[in-house]
Amino acid sequence: MTWKSSLLAASLAALGLGAMAGTASAAGPTCSGGVIKVGAVSTITGPADFSEVPKATQAAFDTINAAGGINGCKIDYTIADDKADPAVAAQAARDLIDNKEAVALVGSASLLDCAVNGATYARKDIRSIQGLGVDAACFSSPNIAPVNVGPFTLTTAMGYYATNVLKSKKLCAFFIIIGGTQEAYKKSIEDWEKITGQKIHVLDLTLPFQGDLTPYVIKARDAGCDTVLTNQVEPQVVQLIKTVDAQKITGINWLFLAPGYTEQVAKALADTKQPIYAGTEWEPYTETDSAANADWIASMKKANRPLTAFSQGGYLAAQMFLKVVGSIDGEVTRDSVNAALLKMQPISNPLAGSPYVFGEGRTHSPMRATKVMKLEKGKWMVETADWVHLPDVK
Amino acid sequence: MDALLTSAVAGLTAGGTYALLGVCAVFTYRLVSVVNFTGAAIGTAGTFALIALTEAGYPTWPSVFAGILVGTFVGVAIGYVMTRWFAESSASTKAAVTVALLVGLIAVGLRLTGGQHPHVMPELFPGSAFRLAGVEVTIASMLTIGLAVLFTVLSDLFLNRTRVGLHLRALSDRPMAAELLGVKVQLLSLLVWGLTGAFTTFALMIIAPQRSPNFMTLSLLVVPALAAALVGLFRSFWLTLAGGILLGVIEGMASTVDSISQYRSAIPFLVVLAVLLWSQREARWDEAR
Repeated sequence: MTWKSSLLAASLAALGLGAMAGTASAAGPTCSGGVIKVGAVSTITGPADFSEVPKATQAAFDTINAAGGINGCKIDYTIADDKADPAVAAQAARDLIDNKEAVALVGSASLLDCAVNGATYARKDIRSIQGLGVDAACFSSPNIAPVNVGPFTLTTAMGYYATNVLKSKKLCAFFIIIGGTQEAYKKSIEDWEKITGQKIHVLDLTLPFQGDLTPYVIKARDAGCDTVLTNQVEPQVVQLIKTVDAQKITGINWLFLAPGYTEQVAKALADTKQPIYAGTEWEPYTETDSAANADWIASMKKANRPLTAFSQGGYLAAQMFLKVVGSIDGEVTRDSVNAALLKMQPISNPLAGSPYVFGEGRTHSPMRATKVMKLEKGKWMVETADWVHLPDVK
Repeated sequence: MDALLTSAVAGLTAGGTYALLGVCAVFTYRLVSVVNFTGAAIGTAGTFALIALTEAGYPTWPSVFAGILVGTFVGVAIGYVMTRWFAESSASTKAAVTVALLVGLIAVGLRLTGGQHPHVMPELFPGSAFRLAGVEVTIASMLTIGLAVLFTVLSDLFLNRTRVGLHLRALSDRPMAAELLGVKVQLLSLLVWGLTGAFTTFALMIIAPQRSPNFMTLSLLVVPALAAALVGLFRSFWLTLAGGILLGVIEGMASTVDSISQYRSAIPFLVVLAVLLWSQREARWDEAR
């Protein structure tokens, strides 16, 4: 053994001792029975499948458990399928809260969990770090704080991008209104008007879920819109752009929300020349070389999970929960998790443009940054290397 | 006024679709006396066969042919179910059975085609035919209207002027009597199902690229199509044709008027209600009751 390597060994040993001393002096989280019980209510079967989200949360928890857990506490994670049925969703939530005794909900993603169970969570005093907030209630309930930007804030953010970067003077917004989202979308546009000082040129809340879109693209053209913002999801995005091309319309920017940002859309629209933009919820998932994605990709590859935007949400929710639980001194219970969520400092993660915070407040929508993607010849390219941060409404 | 004309022309695309599928629905009803809710779904199945083949790299036109074969096969399969087990059932039972089959087809179709994810739909007839009132009228939408007219003329001639047509009408009205008279009931019925299956498949292949390309939305095109068929009271091909185009045009026009635009998907029902009231105008209370 040379003197160099013995010095290295000695310093490593000292480092190890120091680390051990560190864990011994701080109490850290403890748990009875060696487990922390956590749940998620997600739509897995039924009209939509959001299972990628909680499965990614599961993968992140598995990684921690394999490494010995948080301070020796393993995470026992239960995913409940709500089948997009309100009765099943309510039952699933009660089961997780009363029978499984979950300390928090992490990584849920559902068509109706927030709307159905938001009041239950408030009454039972349990908090949900939603992996993907879908319906409007996810962003307007006291006990739910999603880790995604969500369609409403993203609408305002994309409008902000259109005004500031695309220099749009005549922004038009066309929305499909499902369920109780009308007020939320109207408010998104009002917020955009307050932030930018502009007036919306056309606001149409009657876009059909199915049906011919020709009258709508003609309306946008004849109204002189220079930018059109819509909340359409995958198949309708393709239909809209095909209709625009059939009508030989040029000179309008087409802005979509995160559901439009998929590889299937890119492939289906490989031939179009229209300027198409989509806002993301997190670091663009198609950028597999990006440093911000590295940890998430490593975790998903280890668990054999696909690299989708959904799995980013689940992974991110797990990271936030682990950080919050790590800050607890003493036993991890529903009460101590609630207290930690209420007094937590904002936590940053490279996957998201804004730091995540739960905190007090009647509603939560902490994430307010997006990256904008542009569709170029069948591929999504990052248009804004830096995050587009939405300023607060004055 | 200009805006109304523009939006009316913009509605032609939808109108042609409704008319074409509506005429097919009337054809099926008059020949095998089934109000067929699966009409569009049969065509959708064939269309997705085309998409699967082209996505797998096969050339377009042979895939079109294969897709039409699939549509024909699905049509015959559904026809077999209807003629084998429900030939003697009442019209409302048969309609209910086709609704059940539609739900089943959509569920299976969505599963097999990857749910809501869009597909690359080959455009068989790309481009625009002409420009009218500031709207590009596409070749595809002219073709749907043209096919609807052609099918109307042919059906009319076929049913009223040919012997097979006469047999088929007999079959529809009194299947038992027709069978006793030596008409090959089962074979003729399956022929009708296969024929309409093939035709709706081809129709949907033209329509699909302009529509939201997923299994459910395409299958549900049957709703406005049946509304168009009701305008023709499930008898008249010409009235169905006109009804379908009118529905599309009204829908297009409605999208320019903000206050009624959000109710535009209810328009088919209003039209149907108006037609039913009009058609019953001379019925006396005793008879109508």
